[in-house]
Formats: sequence, structure tokens, C-alpha cells
Amino acid sequence: MDTLREELKKHIIEELNLEDLQVSDIDDDALLFSDEGIGLDSIDALELIVLMEKYYGIQVTNPGEGKVAFLSINSMADYIEKRRA
Amino acid sequence: MSFITAYCHLNENSCSVNGKIFLQKSLESTESWFKQLYKELGVDYPKFYKMDSLAQAGFLASELIKKIIPAISDTYKDDQIALLFANKESSADTDIRFLESYEEKKTPSPSLFVYTLPNIVLGEIAIRNKWYGENMFAVLPKFAPDFFVQYGTILLSTGSKAVLAGWLGILEGRVEVFVFLVEKESSTGIPFDNENVKKYAGF
Amino acid sequence: MIYIGAEEIVSPLGQNTEENFRAISENRSGISLVALAGFGNESVHLSKINFVSEQNKFEFLLIDTLSKTISSIDSCIVSSKKTIVVISSTKGDLDRNISNPFEESIAALVKQFHLVHEPVVVSNACISGVLAINAANNFIKAGLYDHAIVLGCDLISDFVLYGFQSLFAVSQAPCTPFDANRSGVTLGEGCAAVVLSNTKEIFENTPLQFLSGTSANDANHISGPSRTGEGLYRSVKKTLEQNHLAAEEIDFISAHGTATVFNDEMESIAFDRMKMNAIPLNSLKGYFGHTLGAAGVVETAVSMQMMRSNILIKSMGYSESGTSKPLNVITENTFSELNTLLKTASGFGGCNASLVIRKL
Repeated sequence: MDTLREELKKHIIEELNLEDLQVSDIDDDALLFSDEGIGLDSIDALELIVLMEKYYGIQVTNPGEGKVAFLSINSMADYIEKRRA
Repeated sequence: MSFITAYCHLNENSCSVNGKIFLQKSLESTESWFKQLYKELGVDYPKFYKMDSLAQAGFLASELIKKIIPAISDTYKDDQIALLFANKESSADTDIRFLESYEEKKTPSPSLFVYTLPNIVLGEIAIRNKWYGENMFAVLPKFAPDFFVQYGTILLSTGSKAVLAGWLGILEGRVEVFVFLVEKESSTGIPFDNENVKKYAGF
Repeated sequence: MIYIGAEEIVSPLGQNTEENFRAISENRSGISLVALAGFGNESVHLSKINFVSEQNKFEFLLIDTLSKTISSIDSCIVSSKKTIVVISSTKGDLDRNISNPFEESIAALVKQFHLVHEPVVVSNACISGVLAINAANNFIKAGLYDHAIVLGCDLISDFVLYGFQSLFAVSQAPCTPFDANRSGVTLGEGCAAVVLSNTKEIFENTPLQFLSGTSANDANHISGPSRTGEGLYRSVKKTLEQNHLAAEEIDFISAHGTATVFNDEMESIAFDRMKMNAIPLNSLKGYFGHTLGAAGVVETAVSMQMMRSNILIKSMGYSESGTSKPLNVITENTFSELNTLLKTASGFGGCNASLVIRKL
């Protein structure tokens, strides 16, 4: 597993208080906001925006943009890679 | 006359139900006390982990009451159980953490901010149980049995048939919780009056 | 019968009810752009009281508003043992004492006015004001007290503003409730009071009749409103049923209307389910901003003034319908016989509340 994806999963578990979950429980392509994925909600989406800024220096100014970028770990990793220098 | 039909106490180290110890905090465990209690209750509700301490305390207490009165949701219609809670420090425990999130960590946390209102615990209990009834959270300078008896009685005479009531004293590690269920149409239990609420609270 | 009267308002629009209502009748708003207010030091639209110093502002406003209210009722009421004071607020005096945001101000209030009973502070998010008024009525109806003074007060603080900003819930421009282009709340601060009593004679000016109100939870989400407006629908339905009222008997609705996309949409769905689409409706948040725990009392007080003057006040900030269900949003001040008011409120924690007031 590449380190960005693994790191993302660790951050998400910690910042969103997903105590039940291990990194290995989250599939790279699982739909994060679906109950079949990890069942995140709208407040979690906002925390992901905070996480982006805190760990990757990326400012998401519009929460709507966030919901699309954060569909899965894969889409989050792509989003970060595109915006990194 | 309405009756208190179940009650529970929660403090930093132990939890009791109707006066009998339900669980003592394990000192060997690395898990937090509330997490130990959650696991002991055998409840499967991952949202628990996102709650703040005040909401967790209220949630755990309500699940304990449901353990004693398992038929509660079947006995009453979905809007007949009122929630009446109070404390002295409001949501201060989380307020302090939210303040830190922007003063020290430089990013205001939305998931902390939503818990900087003491009535959120009522929302969590309502969501968990699909209860659409009356709610009130009050802030009082100290535990006041007469507030619970007066307003609880009012709720029971204006459409509610049961009141889940409680004092949720939570601040920076201190836990002082007493939650009880009052039922209008019960024929047994502890008579719901000032003296008994004060006595059984034990504060 | 329970009476309600002696309404008092202190806000950026004025230091008493008269000043506030004159400003509203002239469609003036208390919202202005405040420099350096936001988390990133950006300018933010707020409705801020500038004529009171920030030091102990919460305590000052409570005392000031209560003094003004009691000047229009019998002088012996406030310190009577048959009187209870109910306060509605979400954050109290947070900046003064984060661990205990009410104790000092309430103690000062008790001392200043020789209150016999410890005031009850209702802290139930944005429905606190309506809930406090309902609780006051319930205390009197139960025979526990003869009179109740309800005081609603909340301040703008960095804490609350940064919090709403972290939710992306703050509007860039002054808020536009129910409008198609609405984009969030404008925070406001204010203090208001109303007096309820079972004795008509305590009021200097003719009171109105308080009918009763209810609350109900959405049981859906702690910060987003129910998509079906379930809690608000249940509360309004219960309130009307309790008072044997049909929807058509309501002359106007003072809605919650925070101007977030979700809240206003939820309200339109709830009112549609109650078949109240045609009833004239406004939100007062375009004038006062969202005064959180004070909102229910501020807006009830203004609505009582509307009834006294028989003026439907324009819903400030609204120009184009922005909800999926149609509402009869008031677009200009109109004279109309107003006998029966429905006031509603909704808030974080999935809570909803409503009340009805009628002219005698």
C-alpha cells in the first residue's frame, strides 16, 4: 500500500474518531460517505477539509468541492497529488 | 402519582443501576472509562465514538435505563417519551476543547463545534431511539430536585407519558451523572417527588 | 387565561421596543460589515450592539432589559414569590467564564432585582427562546407561579463566529432568508424580554393572550435539519391541536428562517405538510441577524408589535423564492388585521418548537 493512502487512512481514523476501524478495514475505493463504506456524514466532510489544510496545506474553500474530492481514499489521494507542488 | 421506575449513577470509576454496581472501571485497561462501559453494554452504535463526553454520558445512561426497561420503546409511542436534562457547566467540557482547537491548534474544528451546545445529548438520544417527543436542557447552579419534579410533572400532564430525566455533570474528567425514568402509568416504583429525587440522586 | 405582554427589545436597532419597531417598520437592518471579525481576520457581516461596552456585556444586557420590562408591569411583580424568571441563552457569558457561563450574571440579576426563586436557564440551541416562553407558560398553568418573566440573550463571540465559519454556514453578504440565493447565517446579538401572567391587571398596556406551545425532536441528525421537516411538522401540528386551531386561523407566521440552504428548505417542507403555504410569513433575521438563544424572544416580541400595529413586516433580504415548496413570504409592509400568530424555531440537536399568541 502506498504511503499517502495509508497515511490518509490513519489521519481519517484519528481525526474523525473512528475508533472501531483499522487502516486495513478501509478499501482504497470504498465510498466513504456510504453506509457500505465507512458511513461518514456532512460534519465529517467538513473535518476532512480541516485535515486537508492541516496535513497537506490544501485549502478547500467550497464544501461542495470537498464532497466530490472525498468520495474515496483514491479520489482524495488524487486530489492531494494534483495540488502538491 | 407518577413513579421512578429505573435509575442509574455514573461517576469517574463506577456505574450502578437501581443502586447495584453494573461495572467498575478497569485500571489495567488502556481504554477510556466510557469506552469500557460502552463495550460492556454490548451496544453496536459506532456513532458513539464521535460524541463528546457529555453526549456519551447521556447516551450510556439512557442505554443503561433501556437495559432495565427493555420494552420502553414498545410501551410508548414515538413522541411520548420526553427528555429533561440539566447540569451546572453547560457544554463547557467541549467548549474548552473547541477553544483550544482554534487558539492553539489554529484550526476551529467543526466536529467539536457542533457539541458546544448542551442539548446535543438530547439529539443523540432521540436519534438513537427515534424519539420525537419534548426536549429540554437547563443550566442550573446546582442539582435541583424540585426543577425535575416540577417540570417533569408538567411534561407528564401535557402529553408525555414518560420522562427520561437526568443531571449530567461533566467537566474535565469529573463525572457526576444521575439519570432516571419516570412513568406516568406505572403502578410501582419510587414515588416521583422532591424527597425521593434528592435521596436517590445522592449528591 | 394566560396573558403575555410588556415585551422589550435591546438590539443594534434600538435600546427599547419602540426604537426597534420603528426601525423595522422603516425596513432598516441592524446588520453591518465588521472588519477583522472572521477567523482569517476577514470582514464579516454581523448585527452587533455597539452602544454597550464588551466588558460584562451579557450581564449588563440582562439587567438593562429586565429593568425596562418591569417598568411596564406592576412594580411588585419582579420580586414576588409567585414570579419565576426564565432565561434563554446558548453561550451566556462565555468569554467571562468558559467553565461556568451563567453563574455570575444570574447571581447579579438575582441580587439586583431581589428575585425570590433561582432563575431557570434554558439552553437548548436556537429554540431556547421559544422553549423558554413555553416553559414559562407551563409553570403558570401548573399553578406553580402566577407570573413569569422570560429573558432571552446571546452575544456574538469569536467562539461562535469561528464555529459557524468552520461549518461554512456564514453568509458573505447579509443573510437572505428563504431567498433563492441564500448562502448562510448572519450572526446577531440581542436581548429581549416578555412577561407572562395569569393576571391581566399587572400589565400597563393591554397584553395579548398566550395560547401554549410544544417542542419535538427530528430524531435525524445533530446539526442538519430533517429532510422531511419531521420535528417542526410534529411541533406545529401538536401546538395547533392542543389549542383546537385550524391552520387557516393563523394570520401570520414568524418563521425561523436562518438563511442556510437546508434550514429554510426544511421549513418550507414542514409548512407545506401543514398546508400553510398561503399564510403570510417572514423571517426577522434579515433585521437582527441570528441571535441564537435570544432569537425566540426577540422575534416573538417583534411579532407582538406587528400584531399591535396590524402590520405585516417585510421579510428582509427576500426577493426570489428559493424553496421547493411555495411559501407566502411577505415582500412589503402591509396593513392587515393580525389576530393570531404562529412563531416557530428550529435548532442544532434536531430540536423544534412553536407557540401561538392571539389578540384578546
